[in-house]
Amino acid sequence: MGSFLNVTVFRYHPGTDHSPRTESFEVPESKQMAILDVLTYIQNHLDRSLAFRFSCRIGMCGSCALFINGRSRLACRTLVEGLGTKIIRIRPLPNLPVIKDLTVDMTPFFDKYEKVKPYFIANEDREDFYLVPEESKERDLVDKMLECITCGACFSSCTMVTTNSHYLGPAALNRAFCLIADKRDGAGDERLRLVNGPEGIWRCHGQFNCMEVCPKKIIPTWSIQQLKKRCVFRKWMGMG
Amino acid sequence: MKPIAQTQADILILGSGGAGLLAALHAYDANPSLNIILAVKGLAGKSGCTRMVQGGYNVVLDPQDSHEKHFLDTIKGGGFINNQELAWTLVTDATRIIHELENKVGCFFDRRPDGRVHQKAFAGQCFDRTVHRSDLTGIEIISRLRDQVFARKVRILEECRGIDLLIRDGRVNGVLLLDIRSGEPFIVQSKAVILATGGGAGMYKISAPSKEKTGDGAAMAFRAGALFVDMEMMQFHPTGLLAGNSQLTGSVLEEGLRGAGGYLFNAQGERFMERYDPERMERSTRDQVARASYREIMAGRGTVNGGVLIDMSHLGAEFVERTFPGMVDRVKDIGKDLAREPIEVSPTGHFHMGGVKIDKECRTNLEGLFVAGEDSGGVHGANRLGGNGVAESTVFGARAGDAAAVYVAEHTFSPIDEDQAKALWEETRKPFRRSRGEDPYRLSQELKNLTWEKIGVVRTKGDLEQALGKLSEMAEQAQQVRASGSPAFNLEWNEGLNVRNQITVARMIAKSALVREESRGSHFRLDFPQSDNAHWLQNIFLKRQGEKEMQIFTKAVDFSRLRPEEVV
Repeated sequence: MGSFLNVTVFRYHPGTDHSPRTESFEVPESKQMAILDVLTYIQNHLDRSLAFRFSCRIGMCGSCALFINGRSRLACRTLVEGLGTKIIRIRPLPNLPVIKDLTVDMTPFFDKYEKVKPYFIANEDREDFYLVPEESKERDLVDKMLECITCGACFSSCTMVTTNSHYLGPAALNRAFCLIADKRDGAGDERLRLVNGPEGIWRCHGQFNCMEVCPKKIIPTWSIQQLKKRCVFRKWMGMG
Repeated sequence: MKPIAQTQADILILGSGGAGLLAALHAYDANPSLNIILAVKGLAGKSGCTRMVQGGYNVVLDPQDSHEKHFLDTIKGGGFINNQELAWTLVTDATRIIHELENKVGCFFDRRPDGRVHQKAFAGQCFDRTVHRSDLTGIEIISRLRDQVFARKVRILEECRGIDLLIRDGRVNGVLLLDIRSGEPFIVQSKAVILATGGGAGMYKISAPSKEKTGDGAAMAFRAGALFVDMEMMQFHPTGLLAGNSQLTGSVLEEGLRGAGGYLFNAQGERFMERYDPERMERSTRDQVARASYREIMAGRGTVNGGVLIDMSHLGAEFVERTFPGMVDRVKDIGKDLAREPIEVSPTGHFHMGGVKIDKECRTNLEGLFVAGEDSGGVHGANRLGGNGVAESTVFGARAGDAAAVYVAEHTFSPIDEDQAKALWEETRKPFRRSRGEDPYRLSQELKNLTWEKIGVVRTKGDLEQALGKLSEMAEQAQQVRASGSPAFNLEWNEGLNVRNQITVARMIAKSALVREESRGSHFRLDFPQSDNAHWLQNIFLKRQGEKEMQIFTKAVDFSRLRPEEVV
């Protein structure tokens, strides 16, 4: 230890600043230091005007996703040591408007999320729990894709989102898949219609950028693939 | 000064954890024509601790279990000073609410091989009744709740924090808020306010909660004159991760680790729980295990970093990795392997059992003010069982929403006292005029150390008196903090507001802890190490008196359902 990190941080306050700039800071490295600790150090000791966002600090809330050394990741789960360099560049998530410095407005992300009707709609009024055996296929399909923390890392890394601002994006489509594959839900057909279009699943070109950056190891590309299969099947069966 | 922007809502909810979101859903579903505003200090559904729930949700589902058993576990765990009506409401409503969460809200809880909902073992309970979704249950609960709120016409104001409750003629009729992003104030005039901001355990040096939880709700309610109960009861979770200076320090390794059979060792390799609770060992309640660990550490039998060790390796690496993937993952972040080696842990500030006194409908002594979740007190008594936290926030959040919907149908808006709001706002923005004021970060650090050492796991009269003296100095200093630069998204300014609230809550804790001359649940007095049932089956009530003082009194617990002597 005793070494320093060279940290370059994006600074911009729209409406106040003419244009974005970057600033560099020397930060003393400490044991088990995450990017969140780096930012906290800068904020508390070097520049109090720096704005960034975090909440749970243990990878459960998805508030602190940032573009760190060329890749979207959670600040709280990104260890300095794991970056393999002392030179660190931190920018806000791409594809989202900046509020101030490293904080972005998540509205475009959630607007799209809301478009797929992300909320569960029970297929019947049920008194008791739906029986779904632990190891069953119907559970397994949903299980692996369920833990999305809506951090926006996938959305910010998807080139299809960058080139078409109307594209629903990986997180929204993954959520749609979770509900469509969920036997308890009754609005699958409607959701399938919502995602079956040029700005839905067909915009995905299977580049897997989303999978690479997901801190929860979700594979939205796979979910989208499942949705495509279902749409093709329906067409083939003459179900529209 | 220009007038402060004003908007209106039938119901204003502060907080978007389990309590806030359930309140919004229930109020809306009770009457969809209501105008509801949900104001959140962070991002909607992302701030607060329901999302951070790992272990799960205690609820009676199995025919061999019963509400009576769950109630008894809750009361025993709470050292018999719970409000029994609230505790009974908790265990009975939980069964209804878990069905609502799964069947209506859409949470998809873990299943057994036969397809029924799985319930796992948690400490301090006579039956395996903890419903969960793997070992990161909160993500599923809060995400699905947020999705449902999206589906309804509820106005969500993100990164807006409450500054103070507004009162006219003894009735809470609105809140002065700060839009953190713009740095501008605004007023929400409302018929009812539901406070659900979460507790203030984050004020301790080693602590578990998310960043926003700085006792804002409790401090606002205190300033407004709310009545509090058992504020000395602050829970320390026994297994907080130690990770040096990293923010990861204090984060909880879930209770299920002990439930599943994990061992705790001191640095000398002894399973030290043998000395403290030979019968239940590591599956003893949180208060016992936290205190045992703390005492081992203080007696010099801790690790070099001031911790003890949790060891899961004897259960088999494959089992640990399959059952606790989230915990294994987190521990990996500090370069360790939970499945194969002992991990350093310490007690960590976790949950405030004390809070605003409520009734079953979440009403308070202040007209127009409803409180739910960790901002309220009485449900858990002297110690909360693992898995009863998210049950509380959802059960009472739903009740607050239902009750507020009824209340606002019978009440009208009352005019805001604009002078009061203006005066509060003047005070709030003063830090920008003090270039040489106190440093809020220094104050916050000082508070963390003070609370940890003097009003933490082990307390004495001397320490508490010292703490109170120091805290009143710090309260003065908190009135003199500085802020610089633009008010927009200004973290330094917000830190000053946070620390002011934390000091307010810390004073309530210290004051109550000094009064309770016995040890019970999470409250341990080294100078009164025994529980004193002859004198202390009492609740301690507290409220503001004048500008700086507190009025404090005790009252015998109302054993409305079960007397301690009836329990063998």
